[in-house]
Amino acid sequence: MKKPNKLLIDIGSTYFKICENGHISHYFRNFDKNIFDDLTGKCSETLKKYAKEDIHICSSANGGLSTLIIGLTNSFSLKYAINIAFNSGINIIDTVHYLEIEKFTPPKEMIDVVIVVGGIDGGKGVFDERLPNYLKEVNYQNIVYVGNNTNRSFLQEQVPGIKILDNIISSRLQMHEEELKTYLTDLYQADIMGKEDIKHFYDITSNQIYSTPYIVNRSLPHLSDKMNVADPFILIDIGGATTDIHYSRDLVKDNIITDSEYDRLVFKKLGVYKSRESLVFSAKNNEFVYELLNFLNVTENILEERSDKATKVLMQLSIFLVLYKMSKHHKAYIELELEKLNSIVLTGGITKVLSFDEINEIILFFYKKILHFHHAPAILLDSNYEIWSYGMVTPKEQP
Amino acid sequence: MKVVTGVVGNDVHVVANRLIDISLQERGFEVFNLGVNTYLEEFIDAVIETDADVLLVSSLNGEAEGWCRDLGILKSKYDFSDVVFMIGGNLGVGEMNAEELGPKYRNYGFDLVFHQVDLNEGLDQLENYLKERK
Ligand code: B12
Repeated sequence: MKKPNKLLIDIGSTYFKICENGHISHYFRNFDKNIFDDLTGKCSETLKKYAKEDIHICSSANGGLSTLIIGLTNSFSLKYAINIAFNSGINIIDTVHYLEIEKFTPPKEMIDVVIVVGGIDGGKGVFDERLPNYLKEVNYQNIVYVGNNTNRSFLQEQVPGIKILDNIISSRLQMHEEELKTYLTDLYQADIMGKEDIKHFYDITSNQIYSTPYIVNRSLPHLSDKMNVADPFILIDIGGATTDIHYSRDLVKDNIITDSEYDRLVFKKLGVYKSRESLVFSAKNNEFVYELLNFLNVTENILEERSDKATKVLMQLSIFLVLYKMSKHHKAYIELELEKLNSIVLTGGITKVLSFDEINEIILFFYKKILHFHHAPAILLDSNYEIWSYGMVTPKEQP
Repeated sequence: MKVVTGVVGNDVHVVANRLIDISLQERGFEVFNLGVNTYLEEFIDAVIETDADVLLVSSLNGEAEGWCRDLGILKSKYDFSDVVFMIGGNLGVGEMNAEELGPKYRNYGFDLVFHQVDLNEGLDQLENYLKERK
């Protein structure tokens, strides 16, 4: 019998997905077991068929890296670093505007990685003792400097253990992402190896384990081969805790020049389970929400209920808020020209809870009410949750 | 010397911007061209990141006033004492009094103001200004 070529595995916080010859199976996690034993127990026959080098794993089970970015300006340093971090699969990002560093309270929780950036090479240098002073108050595991070359030796002396990489701002003021991206994805791998319950995954694969959002982002250029999606599009992945958006770069007008056609963005607080409270809070503060609830034929009380109906409404609200927060009505890190959108792809748990019609009505409401359009973009559901599997080939294997 | 340039606000007139880029380079400046549709914050941030000596803003569609009014506030947040702030193009609309434009824009925080002044004339004046300042 011919040996099958590759086994792809996505380890999520609620279930595993296994892709064999394009066929996907889902397994609900047993929370009494550690993840590795759970997987090897449920799929031992399948795993046996593959050599270590033919098994590829991505994971979102370890929660991702928490990041603090200290940057010189909003339009360049911070913008570039946030863009690179999100595209590397990082979830939690706090930022400090260096020019006003005195106004920022250091975060209390442990930070996995601090990124410091500012200035093009060859300038007079921008960082002084305010930076090491601030850093003394921060608990962090790793720190990387990707700013101007003038300040390198100062920071090497003042900040123990600081890793120095190429400036992410080129001498033409453009974004230079490769080194930092590799550093962050490698750090993600190191984080997995340090975590008792997942490090054993390296017993079954000899390939690098990437974060799922990084892999999903990598799949997007191949999406139109697999489904009927038209550029520009966005992909919305509403999970239990965070909401990921991947978007065509054609939807943004900004100063970032990059090879990547699709960027990623995360809303930490719009999930329907782990961040339910903040989702409800955000909803209640949105000026259109009462009209929306009315349109859905429910009252405000539904937000406090615990029922299937309430979960559905929360998911619908979450779609609405995500679109709202990316639109021109909301000043944020990025503004998407949603008027230009041709397709909206939804993936993740939401596709199992909401029907096509329930998603459609909410998107139509947004386009009519907020953007004053008569029609909405085409909606596609990744109900079988396959999209991640299109991005699972290693960069070397990509055309 | 480093110059940050571009067209301020929602202004798509690109021809002058290209000419400015080329002319500055011919005069030996290192140019960071942010292009059309650039917001004032982006100009200021670019000056900070590049450690530029000159900010040369142009505006062609007549909307500069609305976009540049807050220059003073932005300038107060950082030490720009070594930077020359310069603006030119079509700085007013309709029946405005051209005489008043200079003082108005200087009041916003520009050092050199050129309403409908030929580019080379403006750049000559910039070079003189830089020389005198030394
Ligand atoms: C071509 C053009 C357009 C094209 C632009 C195409 C493009 N992508 O570039 C289109 C059709 C898109 C357009 C649109 C509009 N335009 Co128009 N456009 C022109 C036109 C005919 C030529 C501009 C040009 O390229 N000139 C050639 C370049 C080389 O010259 P320049 O732009 O004047 O720049 C010179 C100087 O100003 C100077 N300069 C420029 N910046 C600086 C900076 C410094 C520091 C210095 C020293 C000098 C300097 O140096 C340059 C070389 O000498 C002018 C009229 C005219 N004949 O000038 C109107 C004109 C600029 N447009 C005008 C207007 C009002 C508009 C619109 C608002 C029209 C509308 N109602 O829709 C829109 C605005 C769109 C937007 N969001 O910006 C007005 C501006 C009014 C004013 N304030 O004086 C003008 C003057 C026409 C008029 N007489 O009413 N426009």
